[in-house]
Amino acid sequence: MDDELIDRLRAGDRAAFAELVDGWSPALLRVARLYVSTPASAEEVVQETWLAVIGQLDRFEGRSSLKTWVFRILENVARGRGRAEARAMPWSSAFPDTDGGPTVDPARFRGPGDRWPGGWTVAGRPQTWVPAAEDAAVAAELRRQLGNALAELPDRQRTVVELRDVHGLSSEEVCEQLQISPANQRILLHRGRARLRTRLEGVYRDREGRDEDHA
Amino acid sequence: MRTMPELPSDPSGDTELVVACREFVELVTEHLEGTLPDEVERAVRTHLELCAPCVEFLEQTRTTVRLLGTVPATTLPPAAKDRLLDVYTRLHGGRSAGGA
Repeated sequence: MDDELIDRLRAGDRAAFAELVDGWSPALLRVARLYVSTPASAEEVVQETWLAVIGQLDRFEGRSSLKTWVFRILENVARGRGRAEARAMPWSSAFPDTDGGPTVDPARFRGPGDRWPGGWTVAGRPQTWVPAAEDAAVAAELRRQLGNALAELPDRQRTVVELRDVHGLSSEEVCEQLQISPANQRILLHRGRARLRTRLEGVYRDREGRDEDHA
Repeated sequence: MRTMPELPSDPSGDTELVVACREFVELVTEHLEGTLPDEVERAVRTHLELCAPCVEFLEQTRTTVRLLGTVPATTLPPAAKDRLLDVYTRLHGGRSAGGA
């Protein structure tokens, strides 16, 4: 797949290059923000990265995937820039995420003395989300709340969730970019997603509350 | 000693790993990632066959991930993209036309 794309790029296929820029720039911008302090700097880093890609295309040897190669160029560009801005990369000083413990309120599960310890209580059970998340009646509110909840996540969780679920990077790519272990990546992803699911559940619960008030 | 409740009793009598709902919610990401050890993955699947609320929970997690994929992401301004395309065409553009 890479080979064909690279052939097209080297042959001057403008549409192929445009597609690449459209497809990867959002994720590149997001990663650039890990190194530099402003959106404007991140934009410059990404532009500089693409210029380097254009310039070095003929020298790409295919020892890594094209994507990995592009992200590595970004890293180099951003790192130089980040130093100039004297901003230490928060990820390298990787301290563990302090918030441990269960991601779902323990009160929603039966206690150890129960006949089914650790099972959902009647009140705690997850309810089917009606209408479906894509339904116009809820979609806008869900997306708004999701955006807010994402902004409120601890930095590391937010970064992993955004790279994986918003930008579609693979777990390997995220680990490589952030220099974290696969296990650590999964923990951050899990905790982040769990909070976001809880927020969406809250949207549905509020709706239900309102409907009952009206009944 | 921990007393096992009357949850899915194992017909073979072997001690088989059993996952409770409370545990499932912490395994859901690894289940979706496909990174659980075989034995745990089997226990999770068995649990999901028996537990509608946990299937619901799994579905909600999937929905959350799906919605995240629709969150608008910042990209380069159109002018910046056009500039890049021009540089690209200047450097690589001539070749498709017969390599001139």
